[in-house]
Formats: sequence, C-alpha cells, structure tokens
Amino acid sequence: MLQNIHGTMQFLQRFPPFNQMENAHLAFLVEQCQLRFYGPGESIIRPADGPVEHFYIVKQGRVVGERTHLGRDVAETTFEITAGECFPLAALLGERATRTEHRAAEDTFCLQLNKAAFIKLFALSEEFRDFALRGVSSLLDKVNQQVQQKAVETLGTQYSLNTRLGELAMRHPVTCSPHTALREAVRLMHEQQVGSIVIVNEDKAPLGIFTLRDLRHVVADGIHDFDQAIDAHMTSEPFYLSPDHSAFDAAIAMTERHIAHVCLVKEQRLCGVVSERDLFSLQRVDLVHLARTIRHAPRLDTLINLRGEIGQLVERMLAHGASSTQITHIITLLNDHTVCRVIELVLAERGDPGVPFTWLCFGSEGRREQTLHTDQDNGILFEAKDATQAAEIRQRLLPIAQHINTHLAACGFTLCKGNIMAGNPDLCLSHAEWARRFAAFIREATPENLLGSSIYFDLRVVWGDEQGCQQLRRGILQQVADNRLFQRMMADNALRHRPPVGRFREFVLERKGGDKATLDLKVQGLTPFVDGARLLALAHGVEAINTLERLRQLIPLGVIEPLDGAAYEEAYHFIQQTRMQQHQLQTRQNRPYSNRVDPDNLNQLDRRILREALRQAQRLQSSLALRYQL
Amino acid sequence: MSLFSWLLPRKKPSLNPAQQQRLAQLTAPAGLNEHTLRAQRWVVVDLETSGLDLNRDQVLSIGAMVIEDGAIDLGQAFERTLLRTDNPLSPSVLLHGLGPSAIAAGCDPVDALLDFMAFVGDSPLLAFHAPFDQHMLGRALKDSLGYRLQHPFMDVAALAPMLCPQVNVREAGLDYWIKHFNLQVEDRHNASADALATAELALILFSRLRAQGIDSPHALQQRLNQWQRRKQVHSF
Repeated sequence: MLQNIHGTMQFLQRFPPFNQMENAHLAFLVEQCQLRFYGPGESIIRPADGPVEHFYIVKQGRVVGERTHLGRDVAETTFEITAGECFPLAALLGERATRTEHRAAEDTFCLQLNKAAFIKLFALSEEFRDFALRGVSSLLDKVNQQVQQKAVETLGTQYSLNTRLGELAMRHPVTCSPHTALREAVRLMHEQQVGSIVIVNEDKAPLGIFTLRDLRHVVADGIHDFDQAIDAHMTSEPFYLSPDHSAFDAAIAMTERHIAHVCLVKEQRLCGVVSERDLFSLQRVDLVHLARTIRHAPRLDTLINLRGEIGQLVERMLAHGASSTQITHIITLLNDHTVCRVIELVLAERGDPGVPFTWLCFGSEGRREQTLHTDQDNGILFEAKDATQAAEIRQRLLPIAQHINTHLAACGFTLCKGNIMAGNPDLCLSHAEWARRFAAFIREATPENLLGSSIYFDLRVVWGDEQGCQQLRRGILQQVADNRLFQRMMADNALRHRPPVGRFREFVLERKGGDKATLDLKVQGLTPFVDGARLLALAHGVEAINTLERLRQLIPLGVIEPLDGAAYEEAYHFIQQTRMQQHQLQTRQNRPYSNRVDPDNLNQLDRRILREALRQAQRLQSSLALRYQL
Repeated sequence: MSLFSWLLPRKKPSLNPAQQQRLAQLTAPAGLNEHTLRAQRWVVVDLETSGLDLNRDQVLSIGAMVIEDGAIDLGQAFERTLLRTDNPLSPSVLLHGLGPSAIAAGCDPVDALLDFMAFVGDSPLLAFHAPFDQHMLGRALKDSLGYRLQHPFMDVAALAPMLCPQVNVREAGLDYWIKHFNLQVEDRHNASADALATAELALILFSRLRAQGIDSPHALQQRLNQWQRRKQVHSF
C-alpha cells in the first residue's frame, strides 16, 4: 500500500467510525478522496449549491455551521466540526441541499469524497452505514458500551444487568396443573429443590404461582388437608416478563412488587422462572433484599444504617454497567421505600391522625431523577369540605409532617433550604387549596410563580391515595394548554441556562474565584432538557413526569421529531452518566459532591461527546425559542 | 576508474525495445497555462538521494502527489524506490531511512523513471527546494534514459516566504513551514510523506495567492520571478 494512503488511514483510525471499519473499506475510502484546503472564512458548502455532492471529513482545522435567520443579518453558529468529524450526513443521505452554510473557521483541510464513492462505501461497510444513518447518536452508544465494557473488565464477570432473562433461567420450570393436590405440588418442589412451582393450563400458559412463602401461609393458617387442589392457595395471574427482558427489569419488578419469582412467558407459554437467588448469584446486587429490609425496618436507626448500603449498592451497580437511567430509577425506588417506611414508623409512634392524607414529592424526586445527594421537596394533600375544616385538619397533620421531615433528614434527605417541605403550613394543603395555588401560578406569571411551577408541577404521590394528585395534574395540564402566555413565560424561563458551548471555542467556561474554569453539568447540561421537556409536556397534555418519558411521549404527538427525540435522550443520558461517575469519584476521594466538571479532565472522546450532548441541549432551546418566538 | 573518465564520451544507456517505445511516447511539457490555478494540474515531487552532492549522489526514491482541480488527489500518488546496486552505505541513510535492503528491493531505475515521467505527463512540477530536485532528477533521467528534462519547476521554498512576508527566517526549511501552518504529517523524511506535506503547503499558498488576486500559474511565475529579482537587489 502506498505510504500516504496508509498515513491517512492511520489518521482516520483515531476516530469512529473509521476505527471500526475494515481496512479494505477504509483504503477504498482514502483512495477515492481528494484533500482540499479552505482558508479562514471560506465557504465549503452552501444551501445555494443545491443537492450535496460530496462527503467531507475534517483532517485538520475547524468548520462551523452557520444559519442565517430571516430578518437577521448576523449568522448564528449552530455547530462546530473538528478533526476526525464528518459532514453533511443528513443532507447527503436526504439527497438535498445543506440547510446550513459550512465555513472554515481557520486554515482547514478536508478529505472530500464524491457521492458515488460515498454510496459505494455505504453499501460496502456496515460500520460506515451504521454511523452515517445514526449520526452522532451512534457515537454516544459507543461510549455507553465502553463504560460498561470497562466495568465488566475490572470486575472480571461476563454478566451485567443487561443480561437477557432467557439466559439466566437455565433449568426447566417446575409446573403442575390446577387440580394437583397441595401435597403433590410441595413434593415436586422438594424433589426439584426449587422455591416455586408454576400452575399452568394445558397450553402451558401460567395460571398461578405457589412459592415457599405461600406454603408458610398455608401452614400458619392451620390447614390440615393437603389433598386440596393447589389452585385454592396459589397466587393467581402471576407477574411475568418475556425472556428478552433484562435482569434489570426483573430486579425492578421484584423490588416494586415485593415478589421473589418472575415467570418468563413467550407466546403465552411459560418458558422459565427467574428467582431472586438467580439474580443475586449473578450480581450480588442485593436490590430486592435491600428494598425489603427498608420496607420492614423496625426502627428509625435501622433505616439510617441502611442509607449507607444504598450508596454501596449504587456503586456496585454503576460498576456493573448500569446506566444512569437505571440507577436514578433504583435510587428513586429505594428512596420511595424509605419515605414510606418513615411515614409508617412515625404514624405508629405518634398514632394515626385519623384523616387520610397523601404524601407528595416535587422536583427531581417527583421526576424520579434523584441522585444520591438529594434534598427534600415534599408536601401533603388531603381532602376537606371547606376552609375551616382544612385549617383544622392542617393543625392535626402538621406535627406529624414535621416529625416525618426531621426523620427523613436523619436518613440522609437534607432539609430543603427553601422550606419546600410538608411540615411547612403552606405545603400541607387540601385539594381545593392546592388547586387554587396551582391556578395562581399559571394565571400570574411572576418570577416566583414561574420558579414555583418548575418545582411543583413535577408532582407525584409517594405514599397514600393517588386519585387527588391525578386530578390536580389534569387540572394543571388543562390550564397550561389554554394559556399561551404562561407557556411563553415558561419557555423564556427554560432559556435561562445556556449550555456552555460557544461559537469559536469548544466550551465556554466559567471561572469561579481562583479555580480552574469548569462547567456545571446539572444547571448547564441537564436543566435545559428538564425545563424544555416540562414545558412541552404540560403544553401538550402529556402526563408523564420523568424527563425522558416526557420526551418519548412527545414524539408520537408530533411535537418532537423522532430523530431529535432520540438525540435528546442520548445526550441527556450521557450528561447524567458523566455526572454520576463524577459523584462516585468524589465519594471515593472523600471530596464534597459537586456538579462542576473540567472538560480537560475528560478523555478526548468523552469531551467530544459532552460537547455534542450540550449542543443537543442548545438545539432543544433554539426549537423552543422558535416555537414561542423568543 | 581513470581520473579522466569524465572526459570520455558518456556511456549510452541501454534500453530494451519496450522501454525505448515508452520513452518515445513521453509527452513534452505544456508550460504554465494562463487559466486559473484550479484548472492547472501540478505534480508535487520529493526525492530521496544518497546525499547532497549534485554531481555524485544518486536518486534513491521518488514520491509524488498530484494537485488537480485545486485539491490533492489521494488516488493519484506515485512512489518508487530505485534499485541501486552500486550505492555504498552513506551517513544519509540515517536521514532518508532507506537501508540497503529497501534499495535492493527497489525496481529498475529505467522503469521507475519511465513510470514517473508517464505519471508527470505534461504537467509542471512543484517541489520544496525545487532546483535541487530538478537537477537530481534531470541528471538521473539523462544517465538512465538519455532524456532531457524540460518540465518547468516551481519552488515552494521560494513561494512560501513571498506570501508570508511576516515570517522573518532566513532559509526556512520544510520542517519550519510544517510547524508554521501546523500541518499534520505522519512520517517525515520519506519521499511520499514529504511530497504530501509539500502539496498541502502548496494548497495553503495557492489559497493566499487567490486572496491577493493572483489566479493563474503564469501570473504566479511572473510574480515569483519579480520577487526573487527584488530580493537579490536588496541583498546587494
């Protein structure tokens, strides 16, 4: 092979997707390329050039994308492309002109591939095709895979929480018919050394499950007749998943439902059972056990001690390659269990107030996006006939609420600095009072009310009856949908925190005091997504509260393009993952938690992806600005 | 070898019929055109030689790239190592990195030079320190093929300081310019890589030329001659 072809290939192999392509395909690419130079400010491709005829890879220098908006003479820089990156994929695949003028920002060399060769390469190389079709998003995937691979390597295990359940359920499930005698069923379980037996019909569809726990009940109930049919004692309609679900799904289901066995069903036929033990032997991730211990903790001290275990669990899960979404989900779950148990313990200690109430949570807790360090954002909802009764009930509930707040603080939920806590009389309200308060937020868009809506409108029930909260949420959705002015104010609010990517440099960083320049992953990275998703969800009647869930539900409504939605999701995911890894590192080094990160400390790929992820946040903001004409 | 051997008539190179036919088919240089720089095809060449002696040292390898349609065409690259059986190991092996084994694995200089001239066609040549390459190549062509090299050469080493007057370095070498423009070169001191670096440098300089309103090879040559004359006057 010729030296210069080889040299150029070596250069490209430092970047995805070229590092994954077969050598022969890469050589084909390079041999078909022309190397072009562009001086500073020189235009490379323009919308006016018509359908794009070439694919470009930046070899050296920097290319910026500029879009001019009608009525404005200053072009807006929409993206930056540096060495190893390609353009314009979407226009080339869509056989259209580029929408953005691409200009060299400095002395720049680009490898230029003609369209015919691009198409040939597209057909030849699967990796290239994948990359071209998925653009940046496949890059993000690569990083996620890398993170997991690294974790798996260090732990020396080939399993992860993403293992298919079908692979975990090694043995045939033990089954019997509904008419089988109790004695016979228990004998089968004993012989096979299993903790459960599944009751199936003639088509092998599961009708119920009978576990050792059920046997304990039978014995405790003093039943002597073991010749009874088993269907009288089984748990009917057992929970099931498909063999394609992951170990994580099973762990979550067990934690949520307090069950120890999950049936695996494919095409309505039972094909396996996964037990808690199967998951533990796999991971030693004692999630289910931990949840149960929390739920049955006899005293507050026990709960306080369990807090440390949650931290360790998260550490282990991250090490096992769990994603940030999985982890926030688990933290929320365990936190919910802790809150419920604290409430139950306080009620047992202080006596039942005699009025039913619902424990609400707001903000990140409401969105199920908590990380380990979290503070309390909660309130109480109760039903009352009128203002007098409401005041009377409030007086009865407040001491209990304050007690719960203090106990939660002892368990590691920091007291809220803004006093957004159920023990505050302003947050212990009747249904009518909450509804009035929320209506005021929407009607009078003062800065305080806007800030309030960004916290309170992400509300969710942790303990107690769901119905009242559901009604409140529907009320909010209706009022926001009808109030364009409020939406516009919220959009304005959602643009407050600009992602720190600039026109000419990679990142625009703040220098705080004498510290090195850093960026805030939460405020500058995640908040734009959270605020944007909230606004769009409220405006379009989407009931979901979780940011990713909101984004997902906005796609079928046509509010967000599917490709944009996927890109936002991955970007959000990546920023959150980076943030959690940083928190873990800080814990290990006994440093205080901080969301500030120095991009220089990231490796080259992570840095590039973080930049790209922040650009997605910027895109979401521009779409809001456009939608609400800000 | 006698002391006066250079006075004796030069030994006629011996070419086989196929080689003679190829020699006859080589195209004459077309000269610099007056169209745009972009329309001009250039061959950017770099030679590795056994040393810097213009009369005694030999061409060991040729690397060349083509600038066509204003871009370097990576599909058109030329690269040959010449078989030199009579070449003693000299210190410059450290510089060009061509060891005796690489040279022994090279191809017949006659074929290599015929291939190269066919590759050049009627295009003008660009090189860094062009007079050296022009001389060495001319001598090799004369010795091996009995061919007189008449293609115009343009010196990138002269072009660069003309277009970058702010650079105040006497005799800045290729390394200097590579650094100045922050060029990424994978493997220096190999004829191909140096030819590519020179070609990249040439693209940057052409871009600067266009910015100054000079957009034809012919105008470029005139401007360069002018500049060199003025420089000589200044140095008196």
